[in-house]
Amino acid sequence: MRDFLELLVSATASGCIYGLLALAYLLMTRPTGIINFAVGEWGMVGAFTGFVLLSAWEIPYFLGLPLVGAVMLLVGWGTERLTVRPLVERGAPVLAPILSLLGMLVVFRELVSVGFGPDPRPVPGAFGFGRLELGLLAGSYQSFFIIACALAVFAGTWLFFERTLTGRSFEAVAIDRRAAAIMGINLARVTALAFAAGAVVAGLAGLLVSANVSAHYMMGLPLAIQGFTALVIGGVGRVEGALLGGLILAFTEQFIVRYAPIPAGLAMGVPLVLLILFLLVRPTGLLTAREARA
Amino acid sequence: MTVLISNIRRQAAAAVLGAALSALALGVQAQTTVRIGMITDKVGPAKPYAEPVALGAAFAVKQINAQGGLLGRPIELLTEDDQGRPDVSATAARKLVDQGVAFILSVSLTPATQQAQSVSLETKTPHMTPSNSGDTLTTQIDNPNFWQTGPLGSTQIATLLAYARAKNFKRVALITDNSDLGQLINRFFKAGLEKAGIQVVAEEVVPRGANTAEPQMQKIRAATPEALFMAGVLTPENVLILRAYRQLGLKTPVLGNYNLSVPQYTAVAKGLLDGVVFVDAFDPAKPETARFIEAYRKDAGAEPYNLMGYGYDGVMMVADAIRRAGSTDKEKVRAAMQASTGYVGVMGGTGATYQFREGKRTGFDPNGMVVRVYEGDRQGRVVHVGLK
Amino acid sequence: MKSLAGYLVAAIVLSVLAFVLGAYQTDVYRKLLLWITLALGYNFLFGVSGQVAFSHFTFYGIGAYSIVILTTQLQWALPLAVVAAVLICVVAALVVAIPATRLDGFYLALATLAFAQLFVVVLNEGGSLTGGTGGLANYRIPDIAGIRITGPWYTVVIVLLMLGTLGVLWRLDRSYFGRACRAVRDNPEAAAAMGIDPRRTRVIAYVITSALAGLAGIVYAFVDNTVNPVIFGLENAFLLLFMVIIGGSGSHAGAVIGAVLLYLMPFVLSPLIGHHHALVFGLVMVLAVLFQPRGLIGLWEALKSRSQAPLRGHPR
Repeated sequence: MRDFLELLVSATASGCIYGLLALAYLLMTRPTGIINFAVGEWGMVGAFTGFVLLSAWEIPYFLGLPLVGAVMLLVGWGTERLTVRPLVERGAPVLAPILSLLGMLVVFRELVSVGFGPDPRPVPGAFGFGRLELGLLAGSYQSFFIIACALAVFAGTWLFFERTLTGRSFEAVAIDRRAAAIMGINLARVTALAFAAGAVVAGLAGLLVSANVSAHYMMGLPLAIQGFTALVIGGVGRVEGALLGGLILAFTEQFIVRYAPIPAGLAMGVPLVLLILFLLVRPTGLLTAREARA
Repeated sequence: MTVLISNIRRQAAAAVLGAALSALALGVQAQTTVRIGMITDKVGPAKPYAEPVALGAAFAVKQINAQGGLLGRPIELLTEDDQGRPDVSATAARKLVDQGVAFILSVSLTPATQQAQSVSLETKTPHMTPSNSGDTLTTQIDNPNFWQTGPLGSTQIATLLAYARAKNFKRVALITDNSDLGQLINRFFKAGLEKAGIQVVAEEVVPRGANTAEPQMQKIRAATPEALFMAGVLTPENVLILRAYRQLGLKTPVLGNYNLSVPQYTAVAKGLLDGVVFVDAFDPAKPETARFIEAYRKDAGAEPYNLMGYGYDGVMMVADAIRRAGSTDKEKVRAAMQASTGYVGVMGGTGATYQFREGKRTGFDPNGMVVRVYEGDRQGRVVHVGLK
Repeated sequence: MKSLAGYLVAAIVLSVLAFVLGAYQTDVYRKLLLWITLALGYNFLFGVSGQVAFSHFTFYGIGAYSIVILTTQLQWALPLAVVAAVLICVVAALVVAIPATRLDGFYLALATLAFAQLFVVVLNEGGSLTGGTGGLANYRIPDIAGIRITGPWYTVVIVLLMLGTLGVLWRLDRSYFGRACRAVRDNPEAAAAMGIDPRRTRVIAYVITSALAGLAGIVYAFVDNTVNPVIFGLENAFLLLFMVIIGGSGSHAGAVIGAVLLYLMPFVLSPLIGHHHALVFGLVMVLAVLFQPRGLIGLWEALKSRSQAPLRGHPR
């Protein structure tokens, strides 16, 4: 029983990381239709920024955290401005920005590999790694911090889309770009905001997870794939879907490893099989977008 | 505009002429140096381990050249990057053979070294890995031109078990990652444990890219082993394992393979290492090792660690074999290398020597590893030597 | 290439090259030919048929592993094993294509990505059948009727493979099927209205190109005489995509140029910029998409048409 409860916390924390990455994809895909494969690499950039600010320069954590966010904001905005905007303005097919972002994936990874070398680097946790017991549940401080951060981000994003005018304009753009433009919504601003927000969320995920696993130059691709899988499971239509997808993926992974009597090596195939199953049976994911309201 | 173009044309012609002349010069130069080839990984997954080994090798070449060279000629170290890709490694090996190297050193991934062997087998070129520890490298392909002086997985587990004999473990757990070397070392750890009559009650794998090892460690905790053996070689995943170990309040002794001796752990696994036992082949107190550390520090301005030592020993052994062969003739060098015996290098505990017994091609002294314990976050003293 | 004579000349020239190159150059040449073969097939799948798939390299691996397992573990004769290996690829392609072609754009990419990774997991866990993480080594191409094809003659085999693939894809591209693929790529609804079955077209394109990749894999297995999971990982799938895009997707010449450029670039650039050629690739990819999405072929055609403009009576 103790195992089960501890696993609950651990799987929730992992699920939150996957969910944040799925959210990053979603923030960019919904208004623009562009799939940004580079979110994993953005997570890596967030992790290394955390290394520089928090480990190397030893800035206090809660001062460094918003600084990492600021850096990621610039990265997201810069990427959009340089590699996406020219294509969108030219009316290039949707595939084009996806491909240029794939190229950026490689550029980011190589820059980090050149700049920091191949060795993994330490990133501190918010409160360290002591063991926290909340009633029957137990986990590390960092796990709870991850859950708290993710809930805050998801709540904020949900409120943004539901309650603010800018958020509603995102929805409008997602539903019909041309109509939104005609209504006076500034498409360029929405796209820039979408990418900047996506980068901040992805960078945050990378920063949080690297406290556990360290920051290293090859961490991007696994993160990107985990985020994708979560997105497909949860559905690309709703913000809550990203979190749900992440949690389902993490729970399936971890509970199968812990309780299923199959060899550990095969358990690695579980997330892939899950992804394939969803793609075959329900590619739109579990939660569908709400219909447009009158 | 036309002036510019003709300038460019002139420069291009000069470049081509220069390239042709230097190619010619290289051809001539081949007679005046001894060429040793090295295949390393500069961009891929093996880079964290290949880079320091390559640095140690380059330092050895520098030292030999400063002392008059080999067979009266300077050594020319030709380095190729296989990017951690086995198919590129084979191509790189062919390039080195075409350039007339007397010996090839492979310091990249284990599968890359294996694929390069197809070339050394075919061209009968002496080929060695001073750092790979996969046991099957000398057994899967019957290649009389290939030797391995890295610390084998089987030697590592035998040394750990000799250290732990007094503890009389009967039931232990194994954990590794899904890299090729991690799986290979796991296989040989398991074989070594079973040979000693110890039961493996749990065997877990942490895949590359995981963000927690808690489910695997929970499973291990549930099996109540008396010790946990770590066979994985990926640093981030090992950090996850150690973190989950602390998190779940496990107290079982942890014994790790030689990967845990790499100094990166002190930075990324702070607070997680106290009491962890690991095998190493580097005893700074040994006279040869102390001299190496001193010389390297003076030359490079940085402190060397165990991985550099493997590269250093590799080049030194190759040079020794070529010296004994009296020439760079491939067959003579092969025979001399196989006959190597009693060579004392930087790696290995006091009293360890390299040799290739009974026609085998693995040279690391089975008695040559040491066992150390982490004290706090520092690599502590040697607590056990060899297999006794 | 239009005529049989053209192919014959190319075959002779490329084969003669095999007999004059040294050992290292032969190795580079063989692998270059194989990459060109793969790029041609992927160009058809991605450029002409419009399917973003990451599984092309996986079929290369399925072909390679199949032929090795069939000839070494089951001791089948080479001709039979080749046919069987190709059949395995076709069946696998059908299993993947039939459900996957229902999916659109990025979902297809995702499904093939998952399939590619699953393949690596299966290889790693395959025990003694696949050699696990270490792969299979220590084998040689079996004899056919007492003859063993090695050395420059094997390079000729690779040349024939490459030209054969080019020939098949060229004919397909020019035929009704090629036009159908393009129609489905550009506007599936319109294509359906014209009587073309989009799903069937996609499935056939996927199976043909994957089978060709598998055939290339069969040939590759005897080049280095080693197969392991590391060779068939995801990195190469990305490289293939980059090759086709930078060369110019939808064009055979573009695929060839892209493959030659990106395969040889590390060898040429290494002495100049060290090992950061991956950075250069990424940057070139981004620049290519931004400024010349039709790749180098597009650039070439743009330059040609610009140099022809003055002839049309525009004053200089």
